[in-house]
Amino acid sequence: MAKKYGMIHDNNLCIGCQACSIACRSENEIPESVYRLQVWVKEEEYPNGTIGYEYHRQSCVQCENTPCVGVCPTKASHITEEGIVLVDVDLCVGCLYCVAACPYQARYVHPVTKAPDKCTFCHDTRLARGEEPACVTVCPTDALIFGDLNDPKSKINQALSSRVTYREKEKLGTNPKMFIVPNHKGGINS
Amino acid sequence: MNQIWGSIEQYNTVVWHWPIAVYLFLAGLSAGAIISAIVIKWMKGNDVSPSDGIIKAGSILAPVTIGAGLLLLITDLTRPLHFWKLLIHYNFGSVMTLGVLALFAYFPVVILFFMGVFKKELFETGPLQFLAPLANLALAYAKLIESVTLILAVGVGAYTGFLLSAMNSYPLFNTPVLPALFLVSGVSAGISANLVVGLLFFKSSTKDGNVSYLHGLDVKVSFVELFFLFILFVGMFYQGGSAAHVAHAALSTGGLSTLLWLGVIGLGLVLPIGLNFALPHGVKHSHGFVIFNSLIVLIGVMSLRYYILYAGQVFVG
Ligand code: SF4
Ligand code: SF4
Ligand code: SF4
Repeated sequence: MAKKYGMIHDNNLCIGCQACSIACRSENEIPESVYRLQVWVKEEEYPNGTIGYEYHRQSCVQCENTPCVGVCPTKASHITEEGIVLVDVDLCVGCLYCVAACPYQARYVHPVTKAPDKCTFCHDTRLARGEEPACVTVCPTDALIFGDLNDPKSKINQALSSRVTYREKEKLGTNPKMFIVPNHKGGINS
Repeated sequence: MNQIWGSIEQYNTVVWHWPIAVYLFLAGLSAGAIISAIVIKWMKGNDVSPSDGIIKAGSILAPVTIGAGLLLLITDLTRPLHFWKLLIHYNFGSVMTLGVLALFAYFPVVILFFMGVFKKELFETGPLQFLAPLANLALAYAKLIESVTLILAVGVGAYTGFLLSAMNSYPLFNTPVLPALFLVSGVSAGISANLVVGLLFFKSSTKDGNVSYLHGLDVKVSFVELFFLFILFVGMFYQGGSAAHVAHAALSTGGLSTLLWLGVIGLGLVLPIGLNFALPHGVKHSHGFVIFNSLIVLIGVMSLRYYILYAGQVFVG
């Protein structure tokens, strides 16, 4: 069976340090002013009255049902056999239909190529060399877990079977391959 | 949610700007102009009518507006020099590809229609005479060409709405009424533009049966447009959740809601409908009033495109 790559972002372990974002920029030579990945923070009041922080990973969630690929008129936006959504710059006309269609605001226009760009799970860089994505490698708390969803023994599947996860905007039917472990500090444990 | 580090400029949800609104307006107008010209031509019979001012207006407006719109669209691409890739790479699941294919067929047939209408003036003598066979062909197969054009024009008018409604990231776009609303308001714009150009440049008179017919039709079409606009928002309220929030915000917040109430609904729909009820027959069918009426309808339709495009992207729930 082909591989199907996915990722987990564990909200309990994430400390918002931005190491992932910086590693991504360095590894993928992201030009100034644009980002494949940012980590945002939200103050949360928990049921027990304490205040805590939620961290939101703002990046492509690698949908299985891809709005961005569906609308692209030239098939420049496409999904690989391994479930990674990519942009073929050569085919892109820059209509920005995909940028508009992505419900996760994951795409930006690359300042040099003028074509949309986004997280590729490090497809051309680290993955091509058989390594894990830069953001995963550098995370000091192991809040990020990457792997093959089709391999029952993979790290990601073990984590998925032991932690409760959800995916963003699930009602849109996009089927993200980015799983989030919700914060259960302060007594929420679901 | 706050960012911790870095610029958040790229997360602006407004991706498509005013050139797209103008393109959507021009594409709708083009389709509406040719649809109403063909309807008039069929009403009057195929042989008498080519000299008719309204038909002439439609036959010029349709290719010129779609041509201008497409030029605008291409220059608005972030990679305009690559636009030709749209013409050879297709994704049949993408509304944009379907639109490209419809325009592929639409452009030549509206030009053929134009050549048939202006055969006497342009192609019988003079430098363009070499095109006479084509103009003759257009006349010989007029009925067939017009039928095909009519179908393609409906496609072009509606596809601009499907283009937006295909995206579930924006609740105001993602409604099934949008293509119908765009088609109807495009027809309204096309009728109005035909009236203005026909009356100003082709010595049409408001005494012509088809001028008062079109003018009357415009009022009826405005009713339908108003109704679709109503369905659009009521539908979103019934959906509840974020769609209802978006509808509420889009109806009541900031300059965009002012544009909707004053520009789209007030100036573009209620004023023309009201005046056509209130004014005496003589005034209503005067040269000046028909042109004034057409101009406010055109402003209203342009405002609708601008409003939907921006409100859809700004209010995302
Ligand atoms: S998150 Fe956006 S860019 Fe990524 S696959 Fe989904 S729709 Fe496409
Ligand atoms: S901007 Fe490029 S990748 Fe995106 S939909 Fe248009 S052609 Fe496809
Ligand atoms: S997977 Fe690679 S491209 Fe994607 S956010 Fe992580 S480092 Fe960046």
